[in-house]
Amino acid sequence: MRDLTLDTPSGDGMRDLMHRLRRSGSASGALVMLAGLCVLFGLLAPNFLATSNLVNVALQSTILLLIALPMTLIIMTEGLDLSVGAVLTLANVVLATIAVKTGGVGLSLLSALAIGAVFGLLNGTLVARLGIPPFVATLGTLGVAQGMALVVTDGQSVVGIPESVQMLYSGALLGVPLPICIAVIAYLAFHVVLYHTRFGACVFALGGNREALSLAGVRMRWYLVAVYLISGLMAGLAALLLTARISAGHPTAALGIEFDAIAAVAVGGTSFERGKGWLLGTLIGVLAVGVLRNGLNLMGVSSAVQVAAIGFLVILALTIDALRERNV
Amino acid sequence: MSAIMNQFRPQTGAAAAASGAGAWQALPDPVRSVVLRLLALALLCLVLSVASDAFLTSANILNVLRQAALLFLLASGLTLVILTAGLDLSVGANVAMSACLAATVMKATGSITLAVFVGLACGLAIGVANGILITLIRIPPFIATYGMLWILHGITYWFMRGETIHGFPAAFRALGSGHWLGVPIPVYLMVVFLVVGAVFAQRTRWGQEIYAVGANPEAARLSGVPVKSRLVLVYAVSGAMAGLASLIFLARLNSAEGDIGEAMTLPAIAAVLIGGTSLFGVVGSVFGTLVGALILTLVLNGMNLLAINANWQPVVTGVIVVMAVYLDNLTRKGDGR
Amino acid sequence: MTTIPPLLELRGISKSFTGVQALDDVSLQLFPGEVHMLLGENGAGKSTLMKVLCGAHTADAGEFFHKGQPVTIAGPADAQRLGIAVIFQEFTLVPYLSVAQNIFLGREPRGRLPGTVDHGLMRKQARAIMDQLGMTLDPGTAVATLGVAQQQMVEIAKALSQDARILVLDEPTAALSDNETDKLFRMIGKLKSQGVAMAYISHRMAEVFSMGERITVLRDGKKVGSRMPHETTPDELVSLMVGRKVDMSYAREFCKSPGPVALRMRGVSARSGIRGIDLEVRAGEIVGLAGLVGSGRTEVARAIFGADPVESGSIEIFGQRQSGGPAQARRLGAALIPESRKTQGLALIRSVGQNLMLASLPRLFPRGWYSPASAATLANELIERLRIATPGPDRRVGVLSGGNQQKVVIGKWLAAQSKLFVFDEPTRGIDVGAKAEIFALIDSLVKKGAAVLMISSELPEIVNVCDRTYVMREGCVAGHLTRTEMSEEAILTLGMHHA
Repeated sequence: MRDLTLDTPSGDGMRDLMHRLRRSGSASGALVMLAGLCVLFGLLAPNFLATSNLVNVALQSTILLLIALPMTLIIMTEGLDLSVGAVLTLANVVLATIAVKTGGVGLSLLSALAIGAVFGLLNGTLVARLGIPPFVATLGTLGVAQGMALVVTDGQSVVGIPESVQMLYSGALLGVPLPICIAVIAYLAFHVVLYHTRFGACVFALGGNREALSLAGVRMRWYLVAVYLISGLMAGLAALLLTARISAGHPTAALGIEFDAIAAVAVGGTSFERGKGWLLGTLIGVLAVGVLRNGLNLMGVSSAVQVAAIGFLVILALTIDALRERNV
Repeated sequence: MSAIMNQFRPQTGAAAAASGAGAWQALPDPVRSVVLRLLALALLCLVLSVASDAFLTSANILNVLRQAALLFLLASGLTLVILTAGLDLSVGANVAMSACLAATVMKATGSITLAVFVGLACGLAIGVANGILITLIRIPPFIATYGMLWILHGITYWFMRGETIHGFPAAFRALGSGHWLGVPIPVYLMVVFLVVGAVFAQRTRWGQEIYAVGANPEAARLSGVPVKSRLVLVYAVSGAMAGLASLIFLARLNSAEGDIGEAMTLPAIAAVLIGGTSLFGVVGSVFGTLVGALILTLVLNGMNLLAINANWQPVVTGVIVVMAVYLDNLTRKGDGR
Repeated sequence: MTTIPPLLELRGISKSFTGVQALDDVSLQLFPGEVHMLLGENGAGKSTLMKVLCGAHTADAGEFFHKGQPVTIAGPADAQRLGIAVIFQEFTLVPYLSVAQNIFLGREPRGRLPGTVDHGLMRKQARAIMDQLGMTLDPGTAVATLGVAQQQMVEIAKALSQDARILVLDEPTAALSDNETDKLFRMIGKLKSQGVAMAYISHRMAEVFSMGERITVLRDGKKVGSRMPHETTPDELVSLMVGRKVDMSYAREFCKSPGPVALRMRGVSARSGIRGIDLEVRAGEIVGLAGLVGSGRTEVARAIFGADPVESGSIEIFGQRQSGGPAQARRLGAALIPESRKTQGLALIRSVGQNLMLASLPRLFPRGWYSPASAATLANELIERLRIATPGPDRRVGVLSGGNQQKVVIGKWLAAQSKLFVFDEPTRGIDVGAKAEIFALIDSLVKKGAAVLMISSELPEIVNVCDRTYVMREGCVAGHLTRTEMSEEAILTLGMHHA
């Protein structure tokens, strides 16, 4: 007997969204968590609810969103990409170095994307063609990327980022901050790909029932490699925003961001099994993580404790998920 | 020693072959796997002694042994976990938290015994928590321990408040940097736990059950083996060993800060995998992990002696881990598993 | 008989898997507009035939003809090109995709932007097919929220959407309600009028006679008869299906006076699908549990052993309530020799000795110290007693033959001193000589006072070996046959659905 847990919608437009939202357990769970966190910090943290602060949260969440979107896809295929943080960091330092030397955005972005692509392909090949479990493969590439970032910079920061790059974070398009524009475009792109292309359907199938794909004559492995490749590329893109934001290239800039990304995906309701995925949930999860960090920051809590809090949040979300499955 | 050697008991009847090739084929897989690795180890020593004059000095050798001992202690518990086809990504963070907790207690009370107890208890508690997340809440091991990693990281940083604690009593420091009869104390601990670990794995009922769970958890369950309890046991042991390792580490460094030991997770996993334990469980041994720890330590030591940029070390470790898993995959396909 | 050539013809198809001849020189003709019923017992070769038709397996020998022209079916693509679609029993659906997406997986209609899918068109097309089947579902519903019956309907819709000219159905009504079955039959009627050829596997006599134009009976991988419905009767079909040539050179002295009750089940129901099971096994008896595949026999075995949770009813082993898991069942003296010994009964990568000890570790080594020497001694004793063909206890179990592997599983429970043995297909995949040995072994167990419940799909086994048998059908106990009442026909008749 299949379990009758109401699940995340396979997305046919916003008109069904509210309807599905009410039916879908894990979705409302994510929203409730977000709302709860907002209320909590509204009460506890000074200035949390100030407009400037909320805008800040949104702004800072953009980088995480760029990483969490492809992570959603990877987790839907029952995989994991632990290397994003290190790849993002490596892309950041390389991009920064080139930006300082050439002064332009174009070449720097290209180099960051290239690095992301290389590591993405590497991960994808290890997982899909060599059959190495994703967490081991990406743990290995994490080590490689992390080490290379240290080697390239010799432990030092890269400073002197040109204006043209910094503008990417502080600039605006029609009054909307550029990072948010980029994030929105990315979200829309992923939405279209996941819910409106065959590629997206295959991603669902890779986690939910791989046999269905092979019976339909689809080349599974190619899709699996592609998913990791996309993750790498997005890390490269995110590196551009990151470099612009911190105005530097730092060899430990984004180490650990993969945990925030995984947490965002988990809190958002995407399951680690069976190909259940919800992009909107990831967005909510990203905001939840952003709010959590921001709120704790305002309360003067150190970064490391913030991470612990995120960990608790994830375990809470997973536990609720597990308990709900058990009760149905 | 017989407990260890008994791992290598050749198949009855088949080992009588007179020719060398026949005898090699006749050895059971675990034996062959360890012998190959010992050869690799010997080769490595040879290469390093040629490549660097500083290698064969007693100071260096002792240093290598001390490092390897620490790594082994951490990796030995992890071996049991991996034997059940699980994984514990939180060991490094466990070391950090246990060490910091122990350091805090030692500074506050001045009692070494209490500190040791606290460090061990902390490691054990973390291990049990992991086990519960995995068996009762059914979170996949790599997610559960990965989440635990960050939680521990956060908690450790929180109570350390960014400060460093240093200056511990000499008696405690001896644990990590002391000698007895010219041999570093951690090495004695290494030998003790090698024996304890090997005996536990090969000579107790629980060890047999653990191997069975790794080989086929469903068949084990259907034979009445309490699979869940055994899983909690292995994670608890992994945690406890992390607690022990944290004390040695603390003693050697003579200081504690929030991020000590965190970089040890990858090398610990690497040591287990290099030592021949398969990520898919059931194949492997504690002795193999010892050899793996030695090999990895030697590689890193060699890099140091040859003045290779230390930042390459995680890279090399990462590459070795991936290679070890890949080779493991290849040989298992040959096994027809 | 018209002179239209068959839409699809199979000639002399053979397929074997290691050691087992699943199909032996089978020939079949599928005519347009006809439903060709395939009947056969478990293991007769029906599902292998289906898999060969859809390209999931390649035949070892034989030819295919499409509209009289020779063709090859080497993979799913070939089958699809020929217009062959199969409705499987194991679902090939992706849980978190919608009904429409599942129906068109891999063949989605293209949208405006390159690479995108036109959801609106897909839903409309899905809607059209679903209307034909009388399905009122919203095509946008996620498949994971559907019940088994609805998922089966989606599978059917999926096959229909491929504009198949040759449709293969594997017991499509097994999970459906009467209402849905009607809709399906109306659909089939429509397909007939459109000239689609259908191969239909069924165990329900009513369907066979009401829907079929042609009936073929398979037995032991061979075709043993082809009939038109009007020239045969259900009884004749049953007799064609049974009567397999099995070398049962094994005679047994049946139990004259059974001992105390070893197992008593009362009103047991479980989520696994069994309902209201009442049965009893006494010491000294071999009690059979017969029934078709999917009738719930394995689920009963697992419920007894605590491998699956039980929702209601009571299970008593030697008078003690069994309400826990396998560890408790073992303590009460029960043993389970599972259906798939390789995945559930043995750790293939470990040695014979280690497997033999697996259920007795706490009993043999109560204080925890494991002694390889005493384990080896015990292992050697068992190896000798059971005549397991292995050079020694250190040989890896995975390299042993099927029969010897089974002996290891049995040996494991002998070492645990069990007194109630539940066998699930004890001789599956075992050659004839070893089968006799296994039965001799089982007999010796009951002669020494143990109780045995034996599940078997081989009717001759049940009839020749069991003192009495229960017959299961669709999750319930359909009946009980004593020694004198037992015959292959009687068992099969009880096991099949006669509506």
